[in-house]
Amino acid sequence: MTHLTLSNITKQFGDFAAVRDFNLEVAKGEFVSFLGPSGCGKTTTLRMIAGFETPTEGEITIEGKDITNKAPSQRNVGMVFQAYALFPNMTVAQNIGFGLRIRKEPEDAVKKRVAEMLALIHLEQRGNSYPYQLSGGQQQRVALARALAIRPEVLLLDEPLSALDAKIRVSLRAEIRAIQRELGITAIYVTHDQEEALSISDRIVVMYEGRVEQVGTPFEIYNFPQTAFVANFVGTLNTANAEVLEPVNGLIGMDGVQFVSAEDLKDRRKGDTVKFSVRPERFSFASEHNRKDNILDCTIENITFLGSVVRIQVLIGNTRFIMDTFNNPFLELPKIGSKAQITCSREAVLVLTGQTEEELRDSAHAERMSS
Amino acid sequence: MKLAVWLRKFPFWSYVWFILGVLYFVIPLLATFEFSLTMERDVVGFKAYEKAFADPDFLETFGYSVFLAAMTIIVSIILIVPTAYWIRLRLPEARRIVEFITLLPFVIPAIILVFGLIRVYSSPLNIPFTEVTLVEPLTNFKFGTNVLIIGGYMVLGLPYMYRSVDTGMRTVDVRTLTEAAQSLGANWYVIIARVILPNIRTALLSGSLLTFAIVVGEVVLASFLGISAFGPYLFLLGQHRAYEPAALTFTTFLLTWAAMGIIQLITGGQEQVAGAH
Repeated sequence: MTHLTLSNITKQFGDFAAVRDFNLEVAKGEFVSFLGPSGCGKTTTLRMIAGFETPTEGEITIEGKDITNKAPSQRNVGMVFQAYALFPNMTVAQNIGFGLRIRKEPEDAVKKRVAEMLALIHLEQRGNSYPYQLSGGQQQRVALARALAIRPEVLLLDEPLSALDAKIRVSLRAEIRAIQRELGITAIYVTHDQEEALSISDRIVVMYEGRVEQVGTPFEIYNFPQTAFVANFVGTLNTANAEVLEPVNGLIGMDGVQFVSAEDLKDRRKGDTVKFSVRPERFSFASEHNRKDNILDCTIENITFLGSVVRIQVLIGNTRFIMDTFNNPFLELPKIGSKAQITCSREAVLVLTGQTEEELRDSAHAERMSS
Repeated sequence: MKLAVWLRKFPFWSYVWFILGVLYFVIPLLATFEFSLTMERDVVGFKAYEKAFADPDFLETFGYSVFLAAMTIIVSIILIVPTAYWIRLRLPEARRIVEFITLLPFVIPAIILVFGLIRVYSSPLNIPFTEVTLVEPLTNFKFGTNVLIIGGYMVLGLPYMYRSVDTGMRTVDVRTLTEAAQSLGANWYVIIARVILPNIRTALLSGSLLTFAIVVGEVVLASFLGISAFGPYLFLLGQHRAYEPAALTFTTFLLTWAAMGIIQLITGGQEQVAGAH
């Protein structure tokens, strides 16, 4: 059953379209992330759900009730901000109980709920502390508890971990996800960090320049990107241009090297230029026991040890590719400068539509210069 | 060698100018204080202070000025806090215009202000094109004159109160706190009363104490509006007496320093609370 629906949402600021024709249905208890670079419209969309911005067009409903033009205080959505936004003049307990007291709940019920929330975020002993006495991670947990205390219909999180250091981010995002699962609350999470989005979301909405590029599970977004932007933005990616050789068989050629793809090229013609991509981890060294659809001759240019992953830069034809392989103490790595053969399946070769983020930026820049 | 290094690092000229500045302010004060102690020939004592504080006019005028100051502060807060808040939240483009307006009291002398008040409010307010009087001239009755002088004092205190409140609001993220409160169901009254005001307490105190000092010492408005306030009392006293005005002047300075000390004491604790982010 759809809990939250955004239908044909558009937001204009003068001539600038911050969000264009955004459509999404979110099920009850689902955790959906809005992922994209700065300025893509993800926070604007979140703020429209919260009521801090009014859509220029479109409708937002929760449980079938239209909330598009309702004041933020009337929507019963909890929000967690990037800058925590704890009330400095109130203790932790007072912050958490604030929304309940606004609703004129009996004091006993408020105290009970505050105690529950403090236990949920493991800060039972800090109820009488002020925000300035807490660390950044603790403050954000209090902000989460405050948003959850009012039993909101939807929980909105606007880059809540951006202000925290890397280690705290990793532990806190897992905690947020665990709490959301336990309470079964529908959550919308805005982030520009793909690892964050991939690790905690049921679904991800990838956005760019106000538009939705793709909606899918983390698995789908990463393994089956539908556009060049999504492929390039999420994870590391090798991209190159190739010429269509045999559309029916999915055969393409680059620098005299042939790749076979599982993609449907029936709407292409021989000689068309296409952009294709291969994830670094889809390559492996070819051997007697490991020979997939594509066997590629290459030259080893560089080897970088990244801990659990070994990153190898290879030259295929005249184009550089990255290959990632898991670190293994018994792994025999080739020498730099030597020739080798690598292999990947046809499913690993993705033919992309659209432009990558870099190409989109470059074409926008060129357009600005020419005008 | 170490002495030479220390001498090179020592901020000699900073101390010179600081001491000169202190002497510039302190010597006249000390002279006033010393003068106030010599009311009786060949006796150093507090006779001038005794006589000044025993004067019933002193208590009456000082008490009345304190009442006017309190009313001015309350009405200023009611007007200025929501205004500064709304400008910060929704009308940042209006900030410059409002800041310019708040500087006008520095430029327009109090005598011009009071003549303007008298000119406008010494006539009755009638329904247009009729002889029906809605409000009698405010200068004709005490309550009216009180309203006029409180309005005048608000204008005189506007630069200090507005800037204090505006500075206070800069130390808190007004917009995000407002949105957080709204998402929790708060209306505008709750937001201002329970979120904004408590976090600008120090700024309000600073503005209030500055306004208090201005009102208590103000002479021109009170004189021309015929108000028995402390400023005109002190002025008149100075025309006829020598030692009591000196005693009261020094006492006023002490009160001002005490006020500043209160601000410092409270600011020291409040910064940590109000500055949390």
